[in-house]
Amino acid sequence: MAGNRGATPLLLSARDDAQGGHYAVGYRLDGRVAFSTPVSQRCHAIIEHPSQPLALFVARRPGTECYLLDLRDGRLVQTLHARPGRHFYGHAVIHSSGEWLYTTENDTTEPGKGVVGLYRFTGEHLAFAGELTTHGVGPHELAWMPDGETLVVANGGIRTEAESRVDMNLDAMAPSLVLMHRDGTLISKETLAQPMNSIRHLAIAHDGTVAACQQFMGSAEDVAPLLAIKRPGEAFIPFPVSDAQLRSMGHYTASVAINDELRLVAITAPRSNRFFVWHLDTAEVKVDAPMPDCAGVAAVKGGFVVTSGQGRCRYYSAHTGQWLGTPMDLPSAYWDNHVQVVGL
Amino acid sequence: MFRPKLLFTSLAALALGACAPQDPQAVTSAALAKQVILPTYSQWVDADRQLAQSALAFCQGTESLDKARADFLAAQKAWAALQPLLIGPLAEGNRPWSVQFWPDKKNLVGRQVEQLVAGGAVDAASLAKASVVVQGLSAYEYILFDSKPEVADSARKASYCPLLVAIGAHQKALAEDILEGWKRNDGMLSQLSTFPNQRYADAHEAIADLLRAQVTALDSLKKKLGAPMGRQSKGVPQPYQAEAWRSQASLKSLQASLNAAQAVWNGVDGKGLRNLLPGDQKPLAQKIDAAYAVAGKALADNTKTLTELLADPAGLQTLNHLYDSLNTVHRLHEGELARALNIQLGFNANDGD
Repeated sequence: MAGNRGATPLLLSARDDAQGGHYAVGYRLDGRVAFSTPVSQRCHAIIEHPSQPLALFVARRPGTECYLLDLRDGRLVQTLHARPGRHFYGHAVIHSSGEWLYTTENDTTEPGKGVVGLYRFTGEHLAFAGELTTHGVGPHELAWMPDGETLVVANGGIRTEAESRVDMNLDAMAPSLVLMHRDGTLISKETLAQPMNSIRHLAIAHDGTVAACQQFMGSAEDVAPLLAIKRPGEAFIPFPVSDAQLRSMGHYTASVAINDELRLVAITAPRSNRFFVWHLDTAEVKVDAPMPDCAGVAAVKGGFVVTSGQGRCRYYSAHTGQWLGTPMDLPSAYWDNHVQVVGL
Repeated sequence: MFRPKLLFTSLAALALGACAPQDPQAVTSAALAKQVILPTYSQWVDADRQLAQSALAFCQGTESLDKARADFLAAQKAWAALQPLLIGPLAEGNRPWSVQFWPDKKNLVGRQVEQLVAGGAVDAASLAKASVVVQGLSAYEYILFDSKPEVADSARKASYCPLLVAIGAHQKALAEDILEGWKRNDGMLSQLSTFPNQRYADAHEAIADLLRAQVTALDSLKKKLGAPMGRQSKGVPQPYQAEAWRSQASLKSLQASLNAAQAVWNGVDGKGLRNLLPGDQKPLAQKIDAAYAVAGKALADNTKTLTELLADPAGLQTLNHLYDSLNTVHRLHEGELARALNIQLGFNANDGD
């Protein structure tokens, strides 16, 4: 996390109010609002700038606007508009130099063709600088490997059109996990056994272990590995999760997070209203607990913060060996899938 | 005289005590848990106890096939009644699958029962390690009803019986375990009654969870009808995609589920979801009452099995009407009722990324 803001820890998230208005928000961990900036489109992921007190709230698919906010006061610094024939896919990353922004985007002239939009920071200002391929279909999240130069891309494999969230090719899905240099060169492209198991979200450990969580678009009675792992130098394979646990996830996971200090991986399954934590190396189950409409999860000291669409936030920590979900006093409203913790 | 005055005073005191302000959501949640949900779970346990006994008796030759089938149908009905009440431990892990394996597009139930039986005698331990496909009512139903081969043949009966007995015992143990869990100090009954607790931060979360279970169940009813009707197969009817098709209990199961959902809506002594609607939402309450009535009547008026209805255009018309009525109940719960109760059913589950 970038240092020198002097700011207290903030929870950043996209949030809707009861009337469906969209906001880019920052909350302190004690529940007080730091800012709540109205925006036109619903956002999904949020990324902070490595050195400037800025964060980009990325449009949720198939949005066309991302919002660059000043974290000190929530001021909207810039609205980044998608180029013609493109929409955003909900995620982005910024290079450690602070100069380059990479976003996953859809080429709507060839729906599903995954591209990475490249944008350049000049001070606070972002400008389009070029485009790369994601070497796959329907990219969703992308993340940095620890070297800060290699990108991991979760290609969800689903084609969707512009202005629509309708899945076009469920019978011909092609998800993949791609590693590529930030200049676009492909390093590796791997898949899981079932084409209808869409690879969507990523968490990268400090040692380069990649965790990916999926959404399965196939039949209710089938089982699919909704958590998969690529350890350094090894192939991308299912993480050891019991069939009983997989069946209890409702074929749908929302977020994955890794707590490096504790070597733990967590996922949320909002369709079954359940939250899970395993040890990253031993696969020992640490938490398997109910949490209504849980979605966002972020690693914090001692455990994880989990947010729900119901506006609940719980701090999960191991306390004398027991995991407790302590409700945090954040106001109810509709918290989106992802929560970003900054300033810790 | 003093007596009436004393009576009046004590009555007044009682009335005042009863008027102590209480969160209506907490009251409703607790009442539903105690008066609707827990009794339905108890009935499920009773039915499964009877099922376990029935398997033993049938296999020992002291009970007829007809009686064994009747006991199965009672267990199937008790399970169907639980569908809108699938909240808490029974809804977690793969437990629902281990009670009933549906949908079963590839006839895993038939195939895996045959494989298991061919592999030698099954006991409680080996069943516990087997796939959920063969642990529950679906497999039990296959054994008792599937006509090829007819179980009444005594040699074949002897080969299936160990599995039948093991399933009966397994279901009984599961049901008893779930009910016991509900009644524990920190179990669901308590978690639905006093707040906050490890599961629910407040009563509103509990009510939201109850509504969520309702909506999921109502949606599932549509699927249970829609799949055999051919809604997922370009209009071509698929009789084998129905729930409990082997025992012809598809529509009876649907009826039991719908009745249970209505019981949560009405509650006992008016302490149901209906009661949580603010006064200005009376039209919505009436709409939902009417929707339940239409769907209920469609099921009650029908005398044919699902298989029969699927076989001709008139029957399909009946089913379309039934489907539409279920859809109305579902949409009202998912949309207007959720909004009126200020419940967001699944911001992320339905439309996350």
